[in-house]
Amino acid sequence: MIRIAAVGDVHLGADARGRMRPALEKVGEHADVLLLAGDLTRHGTLDEARVVAEEFADLPVPVVAVLGNHDHHDDKPVEVAKVLTDSGLHVLEGDAVVFRVGDERIGVAGVKGFGGGFAGKCGSNFGEREMKAFVGHTIGIADTLRAALHSIDADVKVALTHYSPVPDTLRGEPPEIYPFLGSYLLAEAIDATGTDLAIHGHAHFGTEHGMTPGGVRVRNVAQPIIRAAYTVYSVEPMVRSAVAG
Amino acid sequence: MTSEPYLSARLRRAIAEDPRTTELGVRVTVRGDHVLLSGDVACEERRAGLEAVVHEIAPDLQVVDDVRVVSVAEPEGSEELR
Repeated sequence: MIRIAAVGDVHLGADARGRMRPALEKVGEHADVLLLAGDLTRHGTLDEARVVAEEFADLPVPVVAVLGNHDHHDDKPVEVAKVLTDSGLHVLEGDAVVFRVGDERIGVAGVKGFGGGFAGKCGSNFGEREMKAFVGHTIGIADTLRAALHSIDADVKVALTHYSPVPDTLRGEPPEIYPFLGSYLLAEAIDATGTDLAIHGHAHFGTEHGMTPGGVRVRNVAQPIIRAAYTVYSVEPMVRSAVAG
Repeated sequence: MTSEPYLSARLRRAIAEDPRTTELGVRVTVRGDHVLLSGDVACEERRAGLEAVVHEIAPDLQVVDDVRVVSVAEPEGSEELR
């Protein structure tokens, strides 16, 4: 069993400094790795990034993060990622990391993801420049996620995103805003690459459990959903999907 | 007088876009003289910020604040995926 702790949408700033730290310092008792599913800050400022870095630094397990839309708001995603990386976090955007846990290896590929909607109810790469930019952004990110997942050689393979790959975990959100909460292109990349588990955040009013069309389990770990410092999934290696087999 | 759907939309945008709040995960429901806020925020200070922003835009509305501060407790157990 590989134990995966995960949380998203912690939205830290100076006013919330240190709140999570007591539970985080015990994460090693619960898990082998901690995944952060984006929206780590409120406005994406470097000051907030430093609060995040302090909160998640020097933990007993590796910490792997993707950024979310809030972390882009101040237009400094590269700088925010560097602050986190300098504190020992692994910040992914189209790349992957592999860790050894006992005799097993867990690989995590991460991207922020983006919107666009879900199969049959989605935007197209057509028309105005703004629309093509919107959908094209998702297409590009899904392609990098697919390549990063494909590159992983491990016993357990996890996709980490901020936006959702499936509509299942958005139930509770208004259906009209689903196209701003995720894209089926992320799920298509997950299903094409033998992935075991998909972790995302972003949907504060959604639900925790879902599944891709290919049978990969999806978990929405937005903190308002899991109502804890983090939640933990114990994953048996080589158990992939209920549907795809 | 601004109709409820427009006022609701203005309040929701303000809560999302005002640097004092920037909360996209808070619901705003206007009913008559009341505005209901619901959702989760990261700490107690942010609840106060929400009410301040709403009051500036709609000073005559009475705020009903159902916003909760999210728990940061250790998890109880784990989910096994087999």
